Amino acid sequence: MTILAHRDYRQVETHEAEVAVIGTGAGGAVVGTELAEAGRDVLFVEEGGYHPTSSFNPYLTESLPRLFRDAGGTIIMGRPPIPYAEGRCVGGGTVVNGGMTWRPPEQVLMQWARLTGQPDLGPKAMEPVFDRVEQRIHAKPQHPSSIGEDSRLLERGARRLGWRYEPNRRAQDRCVGSNQCLTGCPTGAKQSTLVSYLPRALSRGARCLTEVRANRLWIENGRCVGVLGSGINPRTREEDVEVRVRAKAVVVACGAIQTPFLLLRHRLGRPSRQLGKNFLCHPNTKVLAIYPHDIYAWQGVSQGGQIREFRDEGILMAENAVPPGTAAAQIPFLGDEALELMKRYNAMAMTGVLVEDSHAGSVSRCLGAPLAKYSITPYDHERFLRGVRYLATLHFEMGAEKVILPFSNFHVANDVDDLAEIERTQRSRSTIELFTVHMMGTCRMGSDPRDSVVNMSGELWDLPGCYVADASLFPTAVGVNPQVTIMAMATLVAQRLRLPN
Amino acid sequence: MRRILLTLADSIIPESPRTPDTLEEVTRHALVSLRYMPRSSARMFLWGMRLLNWAPLWRLRGLRPLTALPAAVARRHLVALTQSRWLPIRLLMYGPVGLFMSSYFDQDFAHREIKYAPVPFVADRIELRRRWIEGHEPGSDDEVHHPAALAP
Repeated sequence: MTILAHRDYRQVETHEAEVAVIGTGAGGAVVGTELAEAGRDVLFVEEGGYHPTSSFNPYLTESLPRLFRDAGGTIIMGRPPIPYAEGRCVGGGTVVNGGMTWRPPEQVLMQWARLTGQPDLGPKAMEPVFDRVEQRIHAKPQHPSSIGEDSRLLERGARRLGWRYEPNRRAQDRCVGSNQCLTGCPTGAKQSTLVSYLPRALSRGARCLTEVRANRLWIENGRCVGVLGSGINPRTREEDVEVRVRAKAVVVACGAIQTPFLLLRHRLGRPSRQLGKNFLCHPNTKVLAIYPHDIYAWQGVSQGGQIREFRDEGILMAENAVPPGTAAAQIPFLGDEALELMKRYNAMAMTGVLVEDSHAGSVSRCLGAPLAKYSITPYDHERFLRGVRYLATLHFEMGAEKVILPFSNFHVANDVDDLAEIERTQRSRSTIELFTVHMMGTCRMGSDPRDSVVNMSGELWDLPGCYVADASLFPTAVGVNPQVTIMAMATLVAQRLRLPN
Repeated sequence: MRRILLTLADSIIPESPRTPDTLEEVTRHALVSLRYMPRSSARMFLWGMRLLNWAPLWRLRGLRPLTALPAAVARRHLVALTQSRWLPIRLLMYGPVGLFMSSYFDQDFAHREIKYAPVPFVADRIELRRRWIEGHEPGSDDEVHHPAALAP
């Protein structure tokens, strides 16, 4: 098992491999593992550090800088601006996500097959790929011992209102509901790539360079032949080591924002001019309910299930208990007023509404950093308002004292009648507060270079030897948690990747 | 800049409970977080904090910066900004509120104040999983139950 870190590097560090994979999240780890198991010499390049399960703890001040990109302080510009979070550590987003394993709806895969003209992206053809991924990450429903009261409350509320509630299938092996998905699973039950795919790859001889930022692709004679990066000193955060990786093929799997950011540096994506376009982010908003009794939402698995009654309208609803530090950053009060509300933390049910994208944004480069732009449409806005009303109604039905709403000009509903005010006060898209963790679609896959960035193997149309294997590949929005879809697409890329002689 | 961050932290986090180190601690966390951001983003954040410091001036409510005002007065200015009808002004507050609140409510004394105790719970769950791996599947006694939660 070879995991190197900054302390192991010389001033100029050079490596060779058959395949260099940038990123170790849901895309990178899967493509690299599949290739390593097929006998390829694989080298992972990861910007974040290696943090094993034993190092995970519930403290955000420790976890945010070491597990999240930019210490969790990143934002998509638009109307409204949308803060987002993505992983930056070995295992990437899978270390800090909820581990949901929803397959994309059939109609989405049918649409992908139609748009690309390739039936092998259709639901039937993709089934064995999803089966393979789900088997490897132990996708299954939760054991009863892991379910918390907030999940039960949401389920009971949904049933009372006649809504369809479905327990989540999650990537977990004997999950006991410690509710620390966001800061790294301390029990090792969540099957992030850190504990599922990557150990397989490393046991097959794959190597991993951690604390290395991939700055450029190495291009010779119009072909990608490696990665040029720099080692980041974890103490000073300075890039003080030069790292070069020469490879026959490079797979870029840095996520839907960082992947186009890297590729745009080389002015790629010329044939279609679609690189960085088609940015989708499946935004969500929060609805916090305060109950007259304690719920202890932080005990038991985060997101035991989803309300899928309105799935056809692109609306999903779920509970998502977050640590008090995260909750306090989202409530509309400061100082002692915030503390008064936080004293009711144990009585809070933290829930959210996810709305499927109806419109795309873009990712570009600006002042050496990625600039993501995305605005919700009036249609999305209307669905958000509807979703918030549905969830708040459920909470009042279940006996909530009050509901904290995600609007900058209308914070608290004290009873169900107050919800009528939503229509009156929420005319502007700027007053709703959104968040996202599901970024997708900036290097869309296709069979025509005029309307896609990569071909059906994931290889860039205008840079042979350079492949993409992450959520950027998605031709359209999936409307569900994207983890297994990313893993399935990465599996396809691994199967189709061809090395030059 | 350190003084500005201390002032903002003092105005954003609860007045009590605090330890003698609380302000230093949340400010240090903010500065550490900035090191993990791209330079341009960190620079923009710091410019935003300078702009916030002069909020009394550009709000036409005074001539002195927040650093020269009593904490209660500075807090009133910041509360008004979080409730501004102008999105860019509210946006200015996202960063400091997120950083200082998440840091404050991550401290053990704040956990005690809100009766949040994840460490023993997680330790208990790690032990439960260890037993499960050894072949003892959790039973109904191991379920997370707080009967009052579903009382209604």
